Amino acid sequence: MKPRAGWLVAGLGGWGLLALPPARAVLEASLPGHMVGQIGLLVAAGWLLGRSWGPVTPGELGGWNRYGATGLVVAIFTLAFWILPLSLDTALQDPAWETAKFLAVPLLAGLPLCRSWSRLPGLARALLWAHLIPMLAVMGWIYHEAPVRLCNAYLLDQQALLAWTLWGIAAAITAFWTIRAFLGQAPLRKTIYLGERP
Amino acid sequence: MSQPDPYQPDPGIGRSERGVVLAYMATSGAVLLLMMVLGLIMRLDQGELLGMAPDWFYRVLTLHGTGMVGIAGLAGAGIMWYFLRQYVGLSLAVAWANLALFLAGVILIITGIALGGYAGAWTFLYPLPANPMGMWDTGGAASFLVGLLIIGVGFLLLHLDCARAIIARYGSLGRALGWPQLFGRNDGKAPDAAVVASTMVLIVNTLGLVSGAAIVVMSLINLYFPAFQVDPLLAKNLIYFFGHVFINATIYMAVIAVYHLLPRYTGRPWPSSNKAFLGAWTASTVMVIIVYPHHLLMDFVQPQWMLVMGQIISYTSGLPVLAVTAYGAIVNLHRAPIRWDLASALLVLSAFGWAAGIIPAMVDATIVVNQVMHNTLWVPGHFHFYLLLGTIAMALGFMAWMVRTYGGARESGLDQLSFWVYAVGGVGFVGMFLIGGREGTPRRFAEHLSGWIPYDRWASLFAALVIAATAVFVVRFFAGLRRAALTEA
Repeated sequence: MKPRAGWLVAGLGGWGLLALPPARAVLEASLPGHMVGQIGLLVAAGWLLGRSWGPVTPGELGGWNRYGATGLVVAIFTLAFWILPLSLDTALQDPAWETAKFLAVPLLAGLPLCRSWSRLPGLARALLWAHLIPMLAVMGWIYHEAPVRLCNAYLLDQQALLAWTLWGIAAAITAFWTIRAFLGQAPLRKTIYLGERP
Repeated sequence: MSQPDPYQPDPGIGRSERGVVLAYMATSGAVLLLMMVLGLIMRLDQGELLGMAPDWFYRVLTLHGTGMVGIAGLAGAGIMWYFLRQYVGLSLAVAWANLALFLAGVILIITGIALGGYAGAWTFLYPLPANPMGMWDTGGAASFLVGLLIIGVGFLLLHLDCARAIIARYGSLGRALGWPQLFGRNDGKAPDAAVVASTMVLIVNTLGLVSGAAIVVMSLINLYFPAFQVDPLLAKNLIYFFGHVFINATIYMAVIAVYHLLPRYTGRPWPSSNKAFLGAWTASTVMVIIVYPHHLLMDFVQPQWMLVMGQIISYTSGLPVLAVTAYGAIVNLHRAPIRWDLASALLVLSAFGWAAGIIPAMVDATIVVNQVMHNTLWVPGHFHFYLLLGTIAMALGFMAWMVRTYGGARESGLDQLSFWVYAVGGVGFVGMFLIGGREGTPRRFAEHLSGWIPYDRWASLFAALVIAATAVFVVRFFAGLRRAALTEA
């Protein structure tokens, strides 16, 4: 099998597996499983599909994705919408929303991220990682301190569990980059300065 | 013995690079003067020589504190960028972006204070911003906090760019700190002092800024949705971790000017590839991060081990780098054919200001003393000491050297007079804070009892002297700025 076909099979396969009722039932049974697990895996499936398009080139999409900015914005807004408590709740109650989630997250978040991430200047990627850490911490705090249940489908203890999950991810990202920056090879070596052509 | 020529331009710095550094220093100089005037107004008001409404006193206090920390950071960043750029490929666009974000943040902060009435000090301690008891509106506090956030993003961008460039050249932050030479055989090829110091600063400041961003966003959410409450102790820990690291980093950035410029005046190199120097910077990297609980010694609910750690590490935190800097400066100066001018005098003064300013800090970091002294003028006494006579003296010295080297500024008798006025005025000014603290004058009080007023009045006089001398330095800098920016080195 050619590599591109391999990525396509992996992407479609992962997407299909996540759509199976048992997988959905397991992941959607808890708030962390739904928001972090299922949505994270759907992003990964979309990313694999994006890899099947072949190498990322500067001229693709007719120049509409310079420096990967457009794709990044689309992905961020898509994720911001689908991690809202209201979106998660409605997806559990309304099959049309569930279908929309399964289409939107891989195609409008995972796939654009794949085609855009490597085109972002190294410094922009570093800034996004650096901002992700405090924002995960803040989001964890919001779920931990919320005085009411934010989702109808999940109890308060699930919000606390999600908070600890998000704090754990923030800690893991911090540890990874700290170790890599101190001991590893240069992660940002191929850098394009902001304002310069890649 | 022939005198060295300290005014040799650096070949790695072109007009574009010099332009951004001069813009940093010009902004810092102009804002510094303005903030100094605000400081004088506060001291005059406390000394009952000027009548100011108490609500305006706290607004001025907020603007003065935030502004001074900001420009100390900006001036330090300018110095760091100038010297680090000679070793690694820093981005000009990022340096300009940081300055633009800084100015945008300043506008928001001034708007929040002047129009929104925010007067909760730079510390924005939870839950004060959301509970002003009618003193300011929500928009004012939000404008202040968003301004801080934007300035933080700019500095984060700058430090990430430093990290990118340093890792690209040296492979890892550990190698940039000279760990192979520190922990293994010293081949004498450790990175330059500017690289070591910049690496330390980017590590601690990135952590500080990330923590600061988290608590600022949490405070903003609490401002509009009070039901989302923050653990006050967690909030104070995050705020003081961020604040402590940021203000300490300013001096660690600015001290690069001492390492690089003083040897040009004495004709002696400043050895940095030795285990003492490298060990000191690595030790300080860790200690600056873990020492911040000394700001919370009065918080009885803080875990006791953190308070004990805060005291012990305070005794050791500043010492390694301070020792290698102060000792290095003395060794560098001893019987050297130094060429005294405004820049060299200010740089030597800065080594004194840093070294001496740490002593009252250590006194206050002792728990039994802190219980009595922390809410007195002793604390502003210590930080004004090492900022006014340390960090700012380094920045002013660097600015004087820049316009002399690139702008051809001439020495004058006024330089020497201004230097001594600055030094004497500065020591007198911080001395009045310390004596006031010893007498039990509370800090952050708009009104003072009659027994404290004489110190306020003497402080006002010394502050006026410092402002007059600083005005000479800044005007001198601006007079040579255009030529320094445009000349082909």
